[in-house]
Amino acid sequence: MLEIQELSKSYGKHLAVDKVNLFIPDGQVGVLLGPNGAGKSTIIKCIAGLLRYDGRIGIQGIGAKKLEAKKLFSYVPEMPSMFDALTVREHIEFVRNAYNSSAEDEYIEEMLKRFELHDKQDKLGNELSKGMMQKVSICCALVTLPKVILLDEPMVGLDPGAIKELKAVLLELRDKGATVLISTHMLEMVEELWDIMFVMEKSHIIGSYKKDEVGEKDLDALFFEMTGKPDKGGEKR
Amino acid sequence: MRALFYLTKQSLVNNVKRAVKKPITLLIMIGGIIYGVFVIVMLGQLVRTVKVDSVRGLLAIVTIWTIYMFFGNFASYSSRKGIIFRPAHAHFVFPAPISPKLILIHGAWMNYLLSIIVAIVFFIAGITVFQIEVWRMLLFFLTGCVLELLMEGSIMTYLYANDRISAENMKWVGRIIRAFLIGVSLLIILYFRRYGLTLESAWSFFDWPGLQMIPFVGWNISAYHLILLGPAPLNIVCTTLYLLSVAGMFAVARHMKCEGGYYEDAAKFADDYAEMKQQKKNGEMVTSVGKKKKKFRRVKEHYEATGAKAIFYRQLLEYKKEKYFIFSKMTLLTLFIAVFFSYMMKDSVTETGMPQMILLGIVGYMTLITTGYLGKWENEIKSPYLFLVPDSPIKKLWYSTLMEHIKALADGCILCIILGTAWGIRPGQTAMAVLIYTVLQANRMYIKVVVQCLLGDSFGKTGQDIIRMLIQMMTLGLGIGAAVLVGTLINIDFVFPIILIYSIIVTVIIGLLASFRFYSMEQFA
Repeated sequence: MLEIQELSKSYGKHLAVDKVNLFIPDGQVGVLLGPNGAGKSTIIKCIAGLLRYDGRIGIQGIGAKKLEAKKLFSYVPEMPSMFDALTVREHIEFVRNAYNSSAEDEYIEEMLKRFELHDKQDKLGNELSKGMMQKVSICCALVTLPKVILLDEPMVGLDPGAIKELKAVLLELRDKGATVLISTHMLEMVEELWDIMFVMEKSHIIGSYKKDEVGEKDLDALFFEMTGKPDKGGEKR
Repeated sequence: MRALFYLTKQSLVNNVKRAVKKPITLLIMIGGIIYGVFVIVMLGQLVRTVKVDSVRGLLAIVTIWTIYMFFGNFASYSSRKGIIFRPAHAHFVFPAPISPKLILIHGAWMNYLLSIIVAIVFFIAGITVFQIEVWRMLLFFLTGCVLELLMEGSIMTYLYANDRISAENMKWVGRIIRAFLIGVSLLIILYFRRYGLTLESAWSFFDWPGLQMIPFVGWNISAYHLILLGPAPLNIVCTTLYLLSVAGMFAVARHMKCEGGYYEDAAKFADDYAEMKQQKKNGEMVTSVGKKKKKFRRVKEHYEATGAKAIFYRQLLEYKKEKYFIFSKMTLLTLFIAVFFSYMMKDSVTETGMPQMILLGIVGYMTLITTGYLGKWENEIKSPYLFLVPDSPIKKLWYSTLMEHIKALADGCILCIILGTAWGIRPGQTAMAVLIYTVLQANRMYIKVVVQCLLGDSFGKTGQDIIRMLIQMMTLGLGIGAAVLVGTLINIDFVFPIILIYSIIVTVIIGLLASFRFYSMEQFA
């Protein structure tokens, strides 16, 4: 369960997020949609504890800054950054230690195989391509066996196989009762994943829908209905 | 803690493994260690030679060291820039369920390592060079390793990790600390103004009661007085104050609430630091971390050009938008060198009777040693658009480096005209010196292109620079040697034209070789 109340964040005079409220229950995938610069990444970074903010963020009812809450969630940033001198496997071991995770070796091996990293376990951080770094980042997030997982533009840089695998893994997590929040501006990538959508524009959440409320309408149509931007034909509404 | 220990241990192990695989890195490491030991031994001998191998000598050295470290630490921690995190910390460590204070303390382990190494060196030197009793040096070591580190760690934690004080108020705390540091500096300056800058006054400074009374740093020095010289009323009081302040700061830091408010600044600094490292790796001249967003001027001019010429006009447009047009830090450095040498060396240069030769030497030195002029042309090579421009490689090379030649000409004018005027060099020779400077800079640039093309990333930037320097010395050395020979045997006035003509010929040949690099993006190595 992820709960955000009256979240605000400013960078100097620029208000990046303005009194945002958001709730995603257990076992649901939330997608945070919006154009570049809308404030999506700022929200994700606030939840991950990387920014100072006003308001309240709760992970399974615990304040997000508390260590107990941090144990429950994991984070996949938009731009992965590796430790130059750690191998792929050592990154995973570090995360397993840090979160005191009960993930077993078999689970780790399976994840590495699913994301085609199995034969690259001994590669150092500075030897990885952007796509491989993203895969390592995802595997590290999964190793914590999170109750809440935050993903910021997770499909960027991934090959089609990895995108497919990631979608499958996220749905498996959801089915196990985890809360998933994906921030993206690539609507087609989350079409088959979402349960709740939030649309951000200019620092605000301008609307949200639950999948079971909208019938057959696709994400694209719902998004442009709210933002009033071009439809599929490219014309303004 | 287990995870952070794992991170440090594995990083160290892998770095050593990597170093062992690369013989050059291993040799540099071994050489560095030998050099470090050599420097320490030489310093020990120096201390004996200048007869400061006494208790007071050690006290003087440790006082200077303590003041130096105190200033450095306080200044950097107060601006939250003393601890270097990597972008990977923001990714993996900051969001992890690890105490933010622990992450902070772990982040500064390199700082502690330096303090511990210095304390060990002091301990050994104290017993061997300064002939001080072992028990005193043990206490000395404990003060350096335990008390000072506790104080440093507590101050660092307080300044970084204090979530109770708002960011705005924290800025004020930083300002107060900087004001305190300025105050301490003024006090030291006032002391030397009053007692004069002599060897005696410097020695007396280390015994000056005012120094020991300065909060924190003075009290710390006072503890060393107590250990090395024995008890005196002042050092007992000040050492007690030091112990109390360490205990107080430690208690405050330990019980202070911290939920990772500093992560935002630390992550930003990590990105800035990584960018700075990358810029340095690219060979750029970097003087600070975390620059403000660059502002550009509005330009109304409109340029039209086709083929490779378009590259030059695009660069011109970009430079026109820059605040200082084509003038850079290199220009400032050139101006400083010109002004400095024109006054400092005026008499000695005039005495030689050949100021033009010394000017030539400075021009040669500037082009061989300095690493400036890494302007927009270097980025041209990295861009695929350059290779898509439908024009010949020679033209592409010429037009993408033309602006750098103009920059070199401008800097050459600043250097040579100032020095030439101050040293009374003939205008014709000064003009030729400007041209030689410009041509040598072009020569350097083209050799660099050739070296990069042949070596790829094999030897790193420094290795490539050394190879570039050697090639430049070899190719130009012949002409310079010939010019000097002709100048000595026939007429000194022939030196400038011979060097100029020879360097133009060599530069054109190397330029033609370098143009191969502009055929395709792929390098040979």
